Amino acid sequence: MAASGRIFRGISSLVSRKGKCVSGFLPNISPSLMSSNAIFRYNSTESRPTIRKIDAVATSTLMDFGLYVAECMPKYVQKVQIVTGNELEVLVAPQGIVPVLHFLKDHHQCQFASLADIGAMDVPSRENRFEIIYNLLSLRFNSRIRVKSYTDELTPVDSCYEVFKAADWYEREIWDMYGVFFANHPDLRRILTDYGFEGHPFRKDFPLTGYVEVRYDDEVKRVVVEPVELAQEFRKFDLSSPWETFPNLRTLPAGTEEDPKATQTGPVKQ
Amino acid sequence: MAGIVKKAATGLTGLAVAPNPHHTLSVLYAKILRTLQNIPQDAAYRRYTEQIIKERALAVSEEKDIKKLEDRINCGQVEELMVQAENELILARKMQVWKPWEPLVSEPAANQWKWPV
Repeated sequence: MAASGRIFRGISSLVSRKGKCVSGFLPNISPSLMSSNAIFRYNSTESRPTIRKIDAVATSTLMDFGLYVAECMPKYVQKVQIVTGNELEVLVAPQGIVPVLHFLKDHHQCQFASLADIGAMDVPSRENRFEIIYNLLSLRFNSRIRVKSYTDELTPVDSCYEVFKAADWYEREIWDMYGVFFANHPDLRRILTDYGFEGHPFRKDFPLTGYVEVRYDDEVKRVVVEPVELAQEFRKFDLSSPWETFPNLRTLPAGTEEDPKATQTGPVKQ
Repeated sequence: MAGIVKKAATGLTGLAVAPNPHHTLSVLYAKILRTLQNIPQDAAYRRYTEQIIKERALAVSEEKDIKKLEDRINCGQVEELMVQAENELILARKMQVWKPWEPLVSEPAANQWKWPV
């Protein structure tokens, strides 16, 4: 305890002299000492201790890699960005989905051989309302990347089944939920919804109640499908709040999520 | 005797031990370099790939011991290097069709990548 107290005093004197976060000095102390000393934790001047730290070196490495992809495929890559601190996103034109995915999978420097997931997003206010999102994993380099593209209701997107066999069911899910048509898909069928289902439930214009309801009818002794009947008239609620819900998002440009407070120095404990 | 003992297995499912990795690798690398000749000189993909492949081809020609070769390239076992080279070869051939070094094919709409909307 005596030794830890000494180190603690040493740190606090450094803090009072420098007047900012001590994280630069932390590697000199053994980890066990840091975790066991409650006084130290209480007195540390870290302003947001529960927020995940962003590794600047890893982030710049990711950005360099993103620029490398953009340099190799200038025909297709529209934008490269880092979001939530350390996630690399490559935004491509819809014509370039298959080439870019193929490049990321087979190039020596990439080797993103695993397709973790394909997602989609519906933003009705945009000209191309659907975003298609591919999450890739490179087991060789222990790294992840996200490829995004876009389409509208009528334009088919090239299926990436020829690149990743795993895309088969993911693309069927997106076809089922959003109604995005994938050209050259070997077996594009409904996958999640019920037999005979009509519509694409994840579209923003699909009503929360659906269009039909299913019940067992005792007279005809079978399950019947009927148009949904609401018990009360549809009422339009004005749910918009008079207050601004996410003021932190107001001034930030798209694709960067930096914390303005992180650049300020933490409060100095005396 | 110890020098000529062959590796029993790669330890990876579906990946057999290659009987003559130096020969296979040098053939694959030569094929890739020949394919890259059809891509414009100033294309970034050609420059970077040529650099990687020439580096690896040099290592293959210099290191006769398989273990030392794997350590020098430092990207997995020789069998995995062969898979990577085959992938790159397929990619290089497709690149000739796609021509990704050309200017951007279509600009996004102004609000396409703006989030939150």
